Amino acid sequence: MEDYDFLFKIVLIGNAGVGKTCLVRRFTQGLFPPGQGATIGVDFMIKTVEIKGEKIKLQIWDTAGQERFRSITQSYYRSANALILTYDISCEESFRCLPEWLKEIEQYASHQVVTVLVGNKIDLAQNREVSQQRAQEFAEAHNMFYLETSAKESDNVEKLFLDLACRLISEARQNALVNNEASPLPGEGTTISYLNCCNLN
Amino acid sequence: MARRGTSSSFPGVCGCCGALRPRYKRLVDNIFPEDSEDGLVKSNMEKLTFYALSAPEKLDRIGAYLSERLSRDVARHRYGYVCIAMEALDQLLMACHCQSINLFVESFLKMVAKLVESEKPDLQILGTNSFVKFANIEEDTPSYHRSYDFFVSRFSEMCHNNDDDLDIRNKIRMAGIKGLQGVVRKTVNDELQANIWDPQHMDKIVPSLLYNLQYAEEAESRSPSPLQATEKEKESPAELAERCLRELLGRAAYGNIKNAIKPVLMHLDNHKLWEPQIFAIRCFKIIMYSIQPQHSHLVIQQLLGHLDANSKSAATVRAGIVEVLSEAAVIAASGSVGPTVLEVFNTLLRQLRLSIDYELTGSYDSAMNIGTKIIKEHEERMFQEAVIKTIGSFASTLPTYQRSEVMLFIMSKVPLPSLQHAIEMGKTGVNRTRLIQIMLLKSLLQVSIGFQCNNLLSALPSSFLDPLLCVSLMEDGEIRLFVLEILISLMDRHGNRHKFSTISTISDISVLKLKVDKCSRQDTLFMKKHSQQLYRHIYLSCNERTNIHPHYEAIYGMLAMISIELANEEVVVDLIRLVLAVQELALTNEDNLPVYNRCALYAISAAYLNVISQLTTVPAFCQHVHEVIEARQKQAPYLLPEDVFLEKPRLPKSVDHLEREVLFLQSKISEVLGGSGYNSDRLSTPYIPQLTDEDRLSKRKSIGDTISLQVEVESRNSPEKEEKAPAEEITFETLKKAIVDNVAVEEQERERRRQVVEKFQKAPFEEIAAHCGARATLLQSKLNQIFDITIRPPPSPSGTITAAYGQPQHHSIPVYEMKFPDLCVY
Ligand SMILES: Nc1nc2c(ncn2[C@@H]2O[C@H](COP(=O)(O)OP(=O)(O)OP(=O)(O)O)[C@@H](O)[C@H]2O)c(=O)[nH]1
Ligand SMILES: [Mg+2]
Repeated sequence: MEDYDFLFKIVLIGNAGVGKTCLVRRFTQGLFPPGQGATIGVDFMIKTVEIKGEKIKLQIWDTAGQERFRSITQSYYRSANALILTYDISCEESFRCLPEWLKEIEQYASHQVVTVLVGNKIDLAQNREVSQQRAQEFAEAHNMFYLETSAKESDNVEKLFLDLACRLISEARQNALVNNEASPLPGEGTTISYLNCCNLN
Repeated sequence: MARRGTSSSFPGVCGCCGALRPRYKRLVDNIFPEDSEDGLVKSNMEKLTFYALSAPEKLDRIGAYLSERLSRDVARHRYGYVCIAMEALDQLLMACHCQSINLFVESFLKMVAKLVESEKPDLQILGTNSFVKFANIEEDTPSYHRSYDFFVSRFSEMCHNNDDDLDIRNKIRMAGIKGLQGVVRKTVNDELQANIWDPQHMDKIVPSLLYNLQYAEEAESRSPSPLQATEKEKESPAELAERCLRELLGRAAYGNIKNAIKPVLMHLDNHKLWEPQIFAIRCFKIIMYSIQPQHSHLVIQQLLGHLDANSKSAATVRAGIVEVLSEAAVIAASGSVGPTVLEVFNTLLRQLRLSIDYELTGSYDSAMNIGTKIIKEHEERMFQEAVIKTIGSFASTLPTYQRSEVMLFIMSKVPLPSLQHAIEMGKTGVNRTRLIQIMLLKSLLQVSIGFQCNNLLSALPSSFLDPLLCVSLMEDGEIRLFVLEILISLMDRHGNRHKFSTISTISDISVLKLKVDKCSRQDTLFMKKHSQQLYRHIYLSCNERTNIHPHYEAIYGMLAMISIELANEEVVVDLIRLVLAVQELALTNEDNLPVYNRCALYAISAAYLNVISQLTTVPAFCQHVHEVIEARQKQAPYLLPEDVFLEKPRLPKSVDHLEREVLFLQSKISEVLGGSGYNSDRLSTPYIPQLTDEDRLSKRKSIGDTISLQVEVESRNSPEKEEKAPAEEITFETLKKAIVDNVAVEEQERERRRQVVEKFQKAPFEEIAAHCGARATLLQSKLNQIFDITIRPPPSPSGTITAAYGQPQHHSIPVYEMKFPDLCVY
């Protein structure tokens, strides 16, 4: 009876103003919101996608980058299946803060969490301050996937979320195999507990 | 691949459905009208309910089917039907018996989740409302595998809603808060369910509530008193959040307090809300008033811990935490300190010391990183003041006995020169010591204010008074003043102090409306024990050339306080004798005091004698004092407070060669007091300050012989007593016991020793010879009487106290050496 086969929680983090909210809205609503205001606390969006005939429901938690909301946003890391760590390629500062974010992840997120490093705003290539190579190396050093996007031009946004979904599926399958039965993923108890309804009923 | 909107979730029929529609499905379908505008088909709803009740095993299927329909309707934006499905669910939920709810809940929660995760505010609110209804149903069968994770996350997120439309924003936020409240209600009493007190939940719930509370602060334009807002008034997210927070905290058990408070501290840190402390204070007021009172000390401890953790944060942050502590302490009242009295004060005193170090070194870490953060001196000062205030707040919540222990504890931290305490040398060392002394004495003053201590004797043991009255605290003018103020505020138990705040020679003191009680037995004993110390302190304070107006006010105040609070006839005579000696001090001027100081001494003598003569109500005494004052008014107004204690004192060039009529005469006073039945003989021997233990260390020889005579007498009388006081072994406990048990004996002994020492020091040899025999037997018989009426002195160590007076040197234990084992377990 459920309308999805997998449910994943994705949490976006990164400095204020790097475009997290725009990425989410581009993906879920297909638009680039003009004059997007700073996020307060956390934001929530749902999108169900279909990959190879399977319905995947993505619960996307978009957190505020502002320091003062750190405590509430941190509390969302824990249950995340994936983190999208975002910086702005036209803003060196947002890149330099990445180690701090990694520290937060280390501290608050589950160990199984899949992390993707995203350099947003590639439409602003003329103002680029962080080279692709540098980011690539950083991502590799910290065992992250890496992608550059533009929420504005819709470059790579779809790919970002869909690739992530694929990865999460294969990971979930692997886990299910390892632990045989449908025992929950370590880290978050209920990730794939809503399996296909027809199997249950 | 799926693009926008809800993709290909195809509605309806699962493969498992056969050709025949099951009965429950038909019943469910029938409750939906053709046109959703018509609303739930009531008669069919009754049929469905009846069916569900009579066949509860079908409930799970009914739920699942309803849920399926609802999902489909949400996806198709058929909101009318969504509402109908929800209404039906609610009704079923209400109608069902508790036991069967479980079967049903899973699909119910799925539907709620479906609604609250939608983007439409209306659906979110609809879902939340249903959830709240569900939350209020008391289930008696526990549910093992319900997860409220998503709801906590989502409701918390809704609490932060930032919709451009203020109305929608408020509605969603309120729904979020209500939802959280629902989760709490649902789970809080059920140990089998997700533990709502886990950090993972608390860290979401608490900040979300605080955020809304804080939001009201920011946009404070509403009703003047949010607390009194009636139900009818349109409720704001802030009010709702406050109620929810109170409810949450009220339910917190001992083990959960920590997890609930931690996010509050985090939130205040992150949002930098310690600085204008208003919000932080408000939060903790809510907390303190909401939690069960027996847990309040946990909150205090957590705040103290947070203060320690913030040792290196800006002074303003620390000050904020300390202010909050102070407020919280007052609310928690007697329970605030909990089992660890001294730990509370220890932490505060440690912070005080740290702050002094920061102030002096200008850095948080004198060893490392120079100037990473700039210490602002005035901010540290503010912090120190805040700590002192907070020490006062805590102390005021304590019962008397603990309060005096705290004073003892603080006193023990005051650095004093001694063998044990190597006082730091060098300029910064001296400076530091002085600052610490000042801060600790200020703390003591704060603790002593409003301390209604009925029994000064037990509240102020020698271990407290000795260091407080020691010479090294007298040298510095500022410190000297604190010591005097502390003593005054401890003595002033009837609020008379302020009536003596200006030094004057008013002709009728009845206008002061003094409140006087009869001097109690303990007070009398206290004076027997300590009067000489106090007199000495007053006398020596008078002789300080760095005195300024406030010092004289304090000396005058202290004389007045003793007279009002602690005086019997004997003390009155002593005080007069003391003040005459002060006059003598000004007159002979051996220490070459400046004119101002000498005039001031004349002036306080006049002011005090004016008061005491009226208190004794001996007409001839009053007469004499009045005459001298009048004479001074005519000839030497500069010897009266009215002329001396001005912003610009009216002083003469010199105060030598004074006429006899402007002086108070010992002979005259002796005569008039004697005439009224006072034993004024002693006035004829001028007062000379008694030596203290401190002095005796150096000058022991001079009086040692005199006392050894007494030792013999004493040891003859009580041969079983040890002669040597095992000072090192005296613990706080035994000392306390000794003081309480043997008060009378000890007092008597002290007194006798005092008299003897004094006599032998001052009287001419013939007098000593004459008195010696008679005096000794007199005292002996008195002593015997007392021994008879009090308990037999115990033979073991605690009894040695009683024998201690026989020692040439009554060795008191340095306070800082003492252990306080019993304090820590209160
Ligand atoms: N040129 C360009 N601008 C972008 C892009 N993505 C976001 N922006 C702009 O960057 C600004 C910030 O975007 P947000 O999505 O609000 O940033 P955020 O990371 O959500 O910020 P917080 O919510 O404060 O953490 C907005 O003015 C956007 O218009 C992009 O891909 N290209
Ligand atoms: Mg944002």
